[in-house]
Amino acid sequence: MSNPISRRDFFKTGVVAGITIHVSLFATPAPGTLVSNGEPPPADWLDGKDAPRFRVDAIQKVTGAKTFTRDFRARDLEGWPREQSHAFLIRVPRADRIFEGVDLSTLGDDLLPDRLVLAEDLQRDGISMPHTEFYGEWFLVPKGKTPHLLGEPVALLVYKDFARFDAAKRRIQFDEGIFRFGAVTGPNPPPNYGAARYVRIEGASPDAPDENSPIRDSIIFAGFKGEQPQWPAPSRTGDAMARGMAAAMRIEQEFAAAGDDALLMRRSYTSQSIDASAMETENGNVWYDPATQSMNMMIATQSPYEVAERAAEMLAKSKFVAKKVALKCGHTVGYGTKDHAVFPLYAVVAGLYGEGRPVRLAMDRFEQFQMGLKRHAFWMKYALLVDRKTHRFRAMQGEFKCDGGGRANYSMTVGMVGATAAQSIYYLPRSDFSVATLASRAVEAGSMRGFGTLQTMSATEMLVDEAAQSLGIDAIDLRLKNVFRTGMKNTQGAVPIGALRNDEILERAKVHPLWTERAARKVKYELANPGKRYGVGFAHVQKDYGTGGEAAIATLEVDREGRVTLRHVATEIGTGTTTSQPIIAGRILGRVPDRTFYGVVDWPEMPLTASEQQFTMSQAMEDRLKQNPRWTPSFTSPMSASNSAFFLGHATRESAHALVRFGLWPAALRLWGLNPASVAPLGPRDLHAVDGKLVAGSLEPLSFARVAATAHELGLVTGVSVHTFNRWEWAEAEFDVPDAGRLRLPVDALALRYGAGASASRKSKMKEGGYHFIDRAAVFYPPTQFNNAGTRYYAPMATLVEVAVNLGTGKVDVLSHHSILDPGPPIVAQLISGQVQGGIAMGIGHALHEYLPLYEDGPGNGTWNWNRYQLPRASDVAVWNQSAESLEPKSPADLPKGMAEVTVIAVIPAIANAVHHAIGVRFYDFPITPDKIKAALS
Amino acid sequence: MSIATRALSLTVNGKAVGPVQVPETTMMIDFLHEYLNLTGSRLGCGIGVCHACTVILDHPDGRSEEWRTCITGAHFFAGKSVRTIEGHAQRDAQGEVAKLTPVQQAFIENFAFQCGYCTPGFVTGATVLLEQLARNPVAREDLERVIHAALDRHICRCTGYVRYYEAVRNVVLATPGLVKA
Repeated sequence: MSNPISRRDFFKTGVVAGITIHVSLFATPAPGTLVSNGEPPPADWLDGKDAPRFRVDAIQKVTGAKTFTRDFRARDLEGWPREQSHAFLIRVPRADRIFEGVDLSTLGDDLLPDRLVLAEDLQRDGISMPHTEFYGEWFLVPKGKTPHLLGEPVALLVYKDFARFDAAKRRIQFDEGIFRFGAVTGPNPPPNYGAARYVRIEGASPDAPDENSPIRDSIIFAGFKGEQPQWPAPSRTGDAMARGMAAAMRIEQEFAAAGDDALLMRRSYTSQSIDASAMETENGNVWYDPATQSMNMMIATQSPYEVAERAAEMLAKSKFVAKKVALKCGHTVGYGTKDHAVFPLYAVVAGLYGEGRPVRLAMDRFEQFQMGLKRHAFWMKYALLVDRKTHRFRAMQGEFKCDGGGRANYSMTVGMVGATAAQSIYYLPRSDFSVATLASRAVEAGSMRGFGTLQTMSATEMLVDEAAQSLGIDAIDLRLKNVFRTGMKNTQGAVPIGALRNDEILERAKVHPLWTERAARKVKYELANPGKRYGVGFAHVQKDYGTGGEAAIATLEVDREGRVTLRHVATEIGTGTTTSQPIIAGRILGRVPDRTFYGVVDWPEMPLTASEQQFTMSQAMEDRLKQNPRWTPSFTSPMSASNSAFFLGHATRESAHALVRFGLWPAALRLWGLNPASVAPLGPRDLHAVDGKLVAGSLEPLSFARVAATAHELGLVTGVSVHTFNRWEWAEAEFDVPDAGRLRLPVDALALRYGAGASASRKSKMKEGGYHFIDRAAVFYPPTQFNNAGTRYYAPMATLVEVAVNLGTGKVDVLSHHSILDPGPPIVAQLISGQVQGGIAMGIGHALHEYLPLYEDGPGNGTWNWNRYQLPRASDVAVWNQSAESLEPKSPADLPKGMAEVTVIAVIPAIANAVHHAIGVRFYDFPITPDKIKAALS
Repeated sequence: MSIATRALSLTVNGKAVGPVQVPETTMMIDFLHEYLNLTGSRLGCGIGVCHACTVILDHPDGRSEEWRTCITGAHFFAGKSVRTIEGHAQRDAQGEVAKLTPVQQAFIENFAFQCGYCTPGFVTGATVLLEQLARNPVAREDLERVIHAALDRHICRCTGYVRYYEAVRNVVLATPGLVKA
């Protein structure tokens, strides 16, 4: 993925444009048994070993405590004034004509806003949209211009009291009479966002170097003529892109020349735009205090750093003077749509017009539909060539188009990730996947759970199901013939990391009763249920996790009494990371941290600079920059891309392992009166907790506190901070660790704290936030060419689904479903199970219920809510009739995979395939609604 | 200001509130949030669809009823008694949670929610269901259907409902007198 936004200035200097930034996860003062930063978790939250009895935030959430950003008002925030202003945006329901202003006379004198902000006010005050190529041209549509997209804000209304705010909003919310429009101009979207193409032709064998592949050669990029990408001219002797196009032409010729010995299938699919419908809408509360020249913000976001930086950039260019930008974050939820969204920047603008009072800008559901990021609509043309004799796939082509709406956001990246996922779980000897990411007047689409892969893999899984039918073979058998196995190359030419176990999943699905008994069950069900048709469908996908530029920091410390503190960059978005990170640490240390701090941005022990160009940097540039031992490609990542368990967990794991190796283990050896040689082969990784004591082998169990006290007395390591970076492989570095010598660790920065008994010279090195930052002796970043890999980490899941189609109403009922996944060793099994159940529900919504028109009738017109947008209910998801099984980890060294997105996907094509089994009709566009079924049956 | 207001008095979580001057058009959810600082009842849709905003209306005859606050004016509750999510668990003198209700306990132990935004509504709906079953027990074979009838109106976007429903079934089965012998 490419992150178009540089954080370089911020982290080089610790400030943006001279403004100090502070971000913190919010410590809530509301009543209740609270878990907040630094406060101890509920006393009984652990099961006595190393697993939680409930989520660490469970008591807060189940008792109505203030946890979400949306729950907080100015009066709840320490140091803020009690007065609370309220604001709302007026958004234009048309984007094909000139905006000439708003007429608020319907509000009467009483309900006019205390402050009306229009585009000209922002211009006068020097407030402009940062990074317009990402967020859009302007905050508010200027008079005389045609809006770029439906639902684009044109005015901000600020009220000093809730009653008038509430009354005014109710009066004008759906009143189109407040807009003055001029001439009809037609739509005015930004330029299309880009086109990319991934072409691969395998070498003489799957193991041989590829003839052509993105990772060996290049991703092919193109500009546009209208909606058509203008691909480079093919040339076998030209540059990498031209050669890639020549390879694409060869694949095209293979399709054109296909004979009777091959099955050629060409199919087209569409996947609709949907709304994430995170229950908490986007919101912010911002207090600009001119007296102290400080900007105080509490904003719901998955990317706090980005919000703080953008705010600082905006302020620096404006007339508003600010020396400090402070951002508090509550818990939130967004399924990706609160990552790099534009809304927080509007909350910043609102705060600037509060006249010294905090301003709350919180969308209602209609507004969230009108402005929240959507999942991209995709149009997909596929061609598949299958050898009729071997049933092996010879080649696949996919030509994709997606609508990113009127702001870029991550549309280009979503398109690219979608293209790289289109192979699903298959090995393809030859492949050509291209995507054109288009701009339109639709509400912007962007980062959302599935990230393009949901759309393309769903289509692939429907295509393969149909291919099996055409070949007259079992659909799981066809998959097994072509399954992507360990060591094979993906369509980018990259070899995935770790064991791929798709074949095991297929073998299990193949013998599951839902599959083996489907014909008999169909007969039985239909006899018992006249007017209904029964079907079983299967699909199997693997979803990338991570971004190819994952950075994180964790610090673990143990005090003299054996109390452990964890500080981490992670924040809670519902997935349970604040529960799982301490569990990860606890299983390594033998003690779950007693105190935890999340969303930490102040890292004095990690004095790093970052270029934040990790996706686009040349190898030469990186080679030069990395000579600075305090440089890293990226400082930290947002909460996104299913990155908690594996990527953020890596920082927790590595800091814990180092704390054991350099602190707890040598302390235990001292207490045992042994040395490393005498206990071999036991080593630091053998230290673990049993009944609250640290043990290794048959050696005397030691209390954690005693070991900790000894580590302190001996001056051993009592605190470890690590910075980690992953570009589809972990960065590693060599460090001269006192008493341990030069070591290579899978981190790119390391800092240590020593106990009180350390020598004066050793203590004198603890200069960075009380830590000894060890300048690395050498660093090994994965090559920048890996940026073309698309992904090397896959999490697989297959779903079998059983449906009944009502021939009269066209309604599809999900009767049951069973899923098989490989999550790696679970950190907290209930959290994985919850992801599976919740992801499948979201997938069922996509397959059967949820739909948004893109343009004038769509959410941009401000009239959409959950009355007409149908979210899946409990009665839609087979609550009582679902199950899942996980593959057992192959070895204790296996690591957990990022599962938060893959869970949504397989059920979608599985339902389409099941509907086909039920009524013999294939559907190529989602959602499969009763109307479509009735039309097909008539 | 020409916004018409009226004095509102009611009982919230067992405590008398008011009289407070409240605009006649103010919705109950806004009264709870902006006037009482009880923000646990959550605004989801604002049009009565998702049930994240519900509270328990306690009738004088002892019956309890789930009520949507986003589509009900605050003045509807004049003289009435409501329980919000903040009023379910027992609290100590400092306002700290001392003991969860069986529904709350079942939800946390079953990892019923993820983001937790819809949780107050589910606690409310499930609590009303338990109180109804205490008056009118259900046959075991009807239990799942009754749970759907009580809770299907509640929207959850994270969890797929399974762990909520299992928890409710568990707590119903574990509570004497709710299921007919």
